[in-house]
Amino acid sequence: MKADLLRAEGISKHFGGVKALRDASLSVATGEVHAVVGENGAGKSTLSKIITGAVVADSGNIFWDGQSVSIASPMSAQRLGISMIFQELDLFPNLTVAENMVIGNLNVERSSWVDFEKVDDFCRPFLESAKVRHSPRELLGNLPIGQRQLVAVARALSMGSRLIFMDEPSSALSEDGAAILFERIQEFKRRGVSIVYISHKMQEIFRISDRITVMRDGQTVGTRTTGETTAEEIIAMMVGRTLSGSNRNSSVKQEPRPLLRVSGLTTARLRDVSFEVHRGEVLGVAGLLGAGKSELGAALFGLDRIHSGQVYIRGEQVQVRSPRHAMTLGLGLLPEDRRLEGLMMQMSVRENSTLAVLARFSTAGFIRTREEQTRSSQILESVKLKSNSPGAPVSTLSGGNQQKVLLGKWLLTEPDILFLDDPNRGVDVGAKWDIYAIVDSLAAEGKGILLVSSELPELLRCCDRILVLHEGRSMGIVDALTTTQEEIMSLATATAVN
Amino acid sequence: MPAIAPASPVRSPVKRLAGKLQSVIGLAGIVILAILLSPTTPDGANVFLQLGNLTDILRQISVIGIIALAMTFVILTAGIDLSVGSTLALSTSVMALCLTAWHPAVGMVGHILLSAFAAALVCGAIGLVNGAVISVAGIQPFIVTLATMIGVRGLAKWMTGNANIDIGFGTDDAAVFAAFAREKATVIATFAILACLFWLCLSKTVFGRYVRAIGDNEQAGLYTGLPVRRIKAYVYTLCGLLAGVSGILYTGENHQGNPNAGVGYELDAIAAVVVGGTSLSGGKGSISGTIVGTLILGVLTNMLRLKNVDSNVEMMLKAAIIVIAVALQRTRWRRDT
Repeated sequence: MKADLLRAEGISKHFGGVKALRDASLSVATGEVHAVVGENGAGKSTLSKIITGAVVADSGNIFWDGQSVSIASPMSAQRLGISMIFQELDLFPNLTVAENMVIGNLNVERSSWVDFEKVDDFCRPFLESAKVRHSPRELLGNLPIGQRQLVAVARALSMGSRLIFMDEPSSALSEDGAAILFERIQEFKRRGVSIVYISHKMQEIFRISDRITVMRDGQTVGTRTTGETTAEEIIAMMVGRTLSGSNRNSSVKQEPRPLLRVSGLTTARLRDVSFEVHRGEVLGVAGLLGAGKSELGAALFGLDRIHSGQVYIRGEQVQVRSPRHAMTLGLGLLPEDRRLEGLMMQMSVRENSTLAVLARFSTAGFIRTREEQTRSSQILESVKLKSNSPGAPVSTLSGGNQQKVLLGKWLLTEPDILFLDDPNRGVDVGAKWDIYAIVDSLAAEGKGILLVSSELPELLRCCDRILVLHEGRSMGIVDALTTTQEEIMSLATATAVN
Repeated sequence: MPAIAPASPVRSPVKRLAGKLQSVIGLAGIVILAILLSPTTPDGANVFLQLGNLTDILRQISVIGIIALAMTFVILTAGIDLSVGSTLALSTSVMALCLTAWHPAVGMVGHILLSAFAAALVCGAIGLVNGAVISVAGIQPFIVTLATMIGVRGLAKWMTGNANIDIGFGTDDAAVFAAFAREKATVIATFAILACLFWLCLSKTVFGRYVRAIGDNEQAGLYTGLPVRRIKAYVYTLCGLLAGVSGILYTGENHQGNPNAGVGYELDAIAAVVVGGTSLSGGKGSISGTIVGTLILGVLTNMLRLKNVDSNVEMMLKAAIIVIAVALQRTRWRRDT
C-alpha cells in the first residue's frame, strides 16, 4: 500500500445531546478509491463534513501527507486539496457551468471584472477531462443531473483537489450516468487523485473501490480490502452483532378484513407496493435512504398523488384526498422531520398537542380552555412527557420530548392506523424506550401501526412483520420473529438479486 | 438553531413577564419623554397630558390602528398586505358616492348604514380576491397585494373621475354622517371595539390559533390537516374589510371621498405591527403588541408636533424608532431560543 494521503484519528463530534461520532478514524492512500459504508445515521456524512471543513470536530487529529493539520473551514480544506461533492449538489442552477466552477475557487485569479474568455479557458480542460459535453456558457440548470454531477467533479479538479469526497453520488443518476461517473473515477485514480466514495449500494462499492471502511453508531468498525471481502461480511459489519427474532408479545388479531390493505400502490416514487396491516399489528417498514419509506406515508395520507393501486380501510376502498380526509378515515401520520413537518416550534407544548383536534374543544369557535388543558395534560402524561411547563415553547424541549408531544398530538386524534415515520431519529435513549413501550401498548389496544425506522434492531424489537423497500419497490415482507438483520439488509440493498 | 439539551432551563416567570412587557416599557419610555419635553400652558399645565391632547392622539392613531389589527393577522401567517391604502381610498370613494349620489327611500339612518355596508362589502371583496389568489394560485402575497394596490387605486380614481367628492356641513344625510363619524368618541370607540374583538379572536378562538399555527409552520399545518388555504383567504378578507372600515371613518373625518387617500398607509400599518413585536416571518406576535406599537408611533408624532419639529425630521426619527424597536426585539428573541 502506498503512503497515506489522509489520516484522521479519534474524531468525535456531538450535536446537542446526540453523539454523532465517537473516536472515528479513516485513512486514505494516494490514488485510492475508498468506500465508506454504514446505515443511515452511522456517521458517514458527519465524518466527511469534518474532513472537508463544513463541520468542526470536538476532538481528534487529522494528518495530511503526514503533517498534522487543522481544517477550520471549506476554504482551508480547499487549500490543502480536499473537496466534497454533496448529496444535494451544492451548485447554483441559475449560474452558468463556468460560473459554478470558478465561484469560491482559490485557483482562479482574483479581479474585479470578469473576463469571460479567460474564465472559459480556465474551465475547458477540466470540463473535458470530466467529460462534460456542454458549453461553459450554458446555464447549469439546463443540464441533465448526470452532467451536473460531472460539473461538480470538474469543479473539484479545477480546485487542484487531491482528495474528493463524494456523498451518495449515484443516488440521482441513471444507469448510464452512473457508468460515466465510474469511468471518470477510474481515470482520476490513474492520475493519482484519491476518492472517498460514500454509498450503501453494495454492487457499486464492490465495482469501484479499493478498500471499504464500515461505520456504525458513529464509530469506525473496520476497513477491508475490497478484493478480500464479501458483501455478506460488509453487511454483517454494518449491522453489528447478529440479532434475530422479535421479543414482542404479538397482539395481532387476524381478521378476514384487515384494518388496512394496500394493493399495487404506485406513485411517482413507489412501484406496485402491496401489504396488509391487521388490528394489533406493528408492520415495520425498512429500506435505505430514498427507498420510498416516507413516500409510502405521504401516499396513504393524501399528500402524494396515487397513480394506480387500491387502498382499503376496514375492508372499504378509499381514495384519500387530503390529510384532513385521511384523519376522518382514522389515519394518523407522524412525519419524519418533526421540525419541518411536525411541530410549530414557537407555539407552546400544550398548543402543539391539541392543534389537530382543537375544533373538538370549542364552542362557537371559542376554545374551551379548561377542557383543552385537561385533555392535553392527560395525553402528555400518557406519552410520559417529562416537562413541567405546558406553556413553554416546544422549541425549548429536548428531541425526545418534542417527539412525545408530536406523538401525543396524533394520539388525541384517536387514529385506528398510525404511520410512524422514524419516530426515534435524534431521540435520546430514555425517550426511545418510552416510545417503544407506547408503540407496544397502542398495538395492544388494537390499533394498526406502520413503523418506519432506519435502525434494524429497533424494527426487530418492535414489529410483527417487516416490509422491505428498495427504490420504491417492495422486496418482500419478512416475519420479525424469524428474520435476521442480514436478511433485511440484503433485501434492502438488493444484493440477494445478484 | 436552539441547542436542544435534555435539561433546557425554563426561564423564570419574572424574566418571561419582563420579555412580554418590553414593548410596554418602550411605550412608557416614550410617554415619559413626551411629558418631559412637552411645552406648558401659561397657567403651568403640561400640554401633552391635557385630556384633549391625549384623546387627539387616540383619534389620530385610530385609522392606522384599525388597519394594523387586521395586518397583524396577515403578518402572523407570514404574509403581507400592501393593498390596504388603496382599499381605504376605494372605501372613501364608495362611501361618499353612496351618500351623495344615491338616494334610496330608506330614511337617513338606513341610507347611512347601507352606504357604510356597501363600502365595507366592496373592500371585503377586494380582500377576498387577494386571499383567494394567494392561497389558490400560490403567488407570493407581496406580489398579489402589490398588484391589487395598483389596480384598486385605479378603480377608485376611475369611479370618481379622479376628483374628491365633498361632503358639506348641512343637514343632508352625508353631512349628518360626517358630523357623527368625525366625533372623537365615534372614532376611538370603533378602534377600541375592533381591538377587543381582534384580541379575543386571536387569543381565544380556534381560528386565531390556526392563524398563528400556519404562520409558524405551514408545512406542519398541512400535515396536521388544518384548512390552510381557507384561513389565508379569511385573513386577507378581514384585512380588506378593516381597511374599508377605516375608510368610512376617514370619509367622515375629512368630509370627503378621496380616491387619492391612504397613500403609504400600508407601510404605517406594517410599521405599527412590527414595532409591536410581530415577526414578519410569521407565527409570533399579538394584538396587544400591535396596539402598543400603534401608540408608540402615535405618541412620538404628537410629541414632535408639540415641539414644532419639522415634519421631515419627524419622519427620520420615526425611521430610527422602527429599526431600534425591532432590533431590541431580535436580541430578546435570540436569547429566548
